[in-house]
Amino acid sequence: MTIPKEEILKPSHLACPGCGGALAMRLALKALGRRTMVVISACCWTVINGTIGYNYSGVPALHTAFETTAVVAAGIKASLEMQGKGDITVMAWAGDGGTFDIGLQSLSGAAERNDDIIYVCYDNEAYMNTGIQRSSATPIGAETTTTPSPVVKDRPKKDLMEIVAAHDVPYVASATIAYPNDLVKKFEKAKSKKGFKLIHILSPCPPGHKFPENKTVEISKLAVETGIFPLYEIEEGKYKINKKPKFQNLDKYLNLQGRFKNMPKDKREALEEFIKKRWERLSIKAEYFS
Amino acid sequence: MKKLVLGGNDAVAYAVKQCYVDVVSAYPITPQTSIIENIAHFIAKGEMKTRFIKVESEHSAMAAAIGSSVAGSRVFTATSSQGLLLMHEMLHWAAGLGTPIVMANANRAVAPPWSIWADQVDSLSQRDAGWIQFYASNSQEAYDLLFLSFRLSEKVKNPVMVCMDGFLVTHTKEPVETFEDEITDFIRLKETSALLDIDKPDAVGALAFPKDYMPVKLKQIERITSAKSEFYNIAEEFKDVSGKEYKPLYTYGDSDADIVLVAMGSNAETAHLAVDLLNKEGIKSKLVKIIMFRPFPKGEFEREFKGAKKIVVFDRNISMGKGGITKDEIVGALGIKNAIGVVCGLGGVDVTEIEMANIAKDVLEDKITEDMILWGEK
Repeated sequence: MTIPKEEILKPSHLACPGCGGALAMRLALKALGRRTMVVISACCWTVINGTIGYNYSGVPALHTAFETTAVVAAGIKASLEMQGKGDITVMAWAGDGGTFDIGLQSLSGAAERNDDIIYVCYDNEAYMNTGIQRSSATPIGAETTTTPSPVVKDRPKKDLMEIVAAHDVPYVASATIAYPNDLVKKFEKAKSKKGFKLIHILSPCPPGHKFPENKTVEISKLAVETGIFPLYEIEEGKYKINKKPKFQNLDKYLNLQGRFKNMPKDKREALEEFIKKRWERLSIKAEYFS
Repeated sequence: MKKLVLGGNDAVAYAVKQCYVDVVSAYPITPQTSIIENIAHFIAKGEMKTRFIKVESEHSAMAAAIGSSVAGSRVFTATSSQGLLLMHEMLHWAAGLGTPIVMANANRAVAPPWSIWADQVDSLSQRDAGWIQFYASNSQEAYDLLFLSFRLSEKVKNPVMVCMDGFLVTHTKEPVETFEDEITDFIRLKETSALLDIDKPDAVGALAFPKDYMPVKLKQIERITSAKSEFYNIAEEFKDVSGKEYKPLYTYGDSDADIVLVAMGSNAETAHLAVDLLNKEGIKSKLVKIIMFRPFPKGEFEREFKGAKKIVVFDRNISMGKGGITKDEIVGALGIKNAIGVVCGLGGVDVTEIEMANIAKDVLEDKITEDMILWGEK
């Protein structure tokens, strides 16, 4: 497959250099095309998309309240269908705070109703737009401004993929910008399916995770290789692991990011245990439901 | 026209069915629930071609309504009390974006303690959210105001709330004159406009620096302010079809009244009877019923109060630490000194016409000189 050449996302948007969320939007829009509307809840993209009069996304965009991404998108889709414009793709675009935390209820509602939208969580693993506070997507052992060392995040990251999959929706997938072909393919697949689709994109954040701006792709790749961020999809209930990790380079992944600088030994062990257990579960599911 | 026996909720649902609504998004709450149940039945029977999004909360009900409205549909929702409070954030979004959403609210007391009975604190505490607010005091008004609200909201691009006191209005069955085909021309043509247009990739609701924020708010002020004069125009058109006259304030009684009773919602029906009692006793009195609370009809109040010795305002609501809300609004807007506020009927406590008439007499005779609370049976 080839990634579409056309750029819909406009240049000079307001993202920080090296922003994983900007790269994710760029690829997502390439895959979905111009007949797409996007709903953006309170998140970094509220800023990235520009102030009044600007719209760097390049497609019709509605900014909305933090916890409403999924349901506003559902409302738009219902309206379009009533007007005979059901061919327009409606993409809900939210960060991890807006998805894992404050928006989980409305996300669950839309998933349960199987509303025909593509819900994207670009996950930078903390409240980055407000300046790096922990969310329920923050990995165990990470430092944020509300989990300052030595009181680092003491609970593992919530498992969004499995929560959404439990709603019996047609498509749930994870993706990273380090594997753009895989990401684009997943968006194309999501577009081709009717009903509720979730795409969970890991979105490394240079200022929030404290790494150099040119390392976003490398860190995304390491997240997959270490097994920290499983690349898989659940299509009509069938599991498929897209990239088997080598379970290597955890040190490299952690050491590249300042947020893990003060990670205590017990949290490091807990993280390893978390990765191991999660993969055990996932492997069983992938074998059993394939 | 066809006469049906309907409660306020039935009347609202029946009106929604006749208003060519594209999308309904709603969540059940007592005493609103029968509105959305009726709508669900109309849809199930194929009598309504409407998409009903059965959301998981009132917050989402308003959020979905906003999405549908922004995409160009005619949208309705209904709620009450705790549900309306949960919507609060999205009420501001709806008004700020200029979405012509119409919502029915069953006025119900706010917990704690839990109560499902009539009280207007729920919607009055949303008065600063930018919505046009109407208050119906009977089923007929609830029915008629729905038609007026869709037209008005789309004309001025501002959401409208139609409020009815829980049970007293929502569930009291009364004869209602309903429309048949004669209303079609009035209501069929939609003036909705899609803020999201696939051929015009703009962003809606984007971040505004201080210099950009005020101009956006100025437009919003113009929208809601224009609602009053537009209401007169649309009501004139409505009168041609229905024979019924609607104004921001409804008046009844002696136009040369010494004492004016002001009330809103179910209290106004009772005050109607109180005015009859007073006039029978030779006390020149009249009722001023608030139908439009936002935008606030200041000039209309001034005209109605001209020549009156005393004004007594009955509020089935309270702003804690201040007093009755409509009384406070009236005094604040008009600067009058001859008004007495009576907080009464909170949480569904009965207020009788005899109590109202006695208070009005005492106010007129200077036996009551300060705002008071009518406790009812303790």
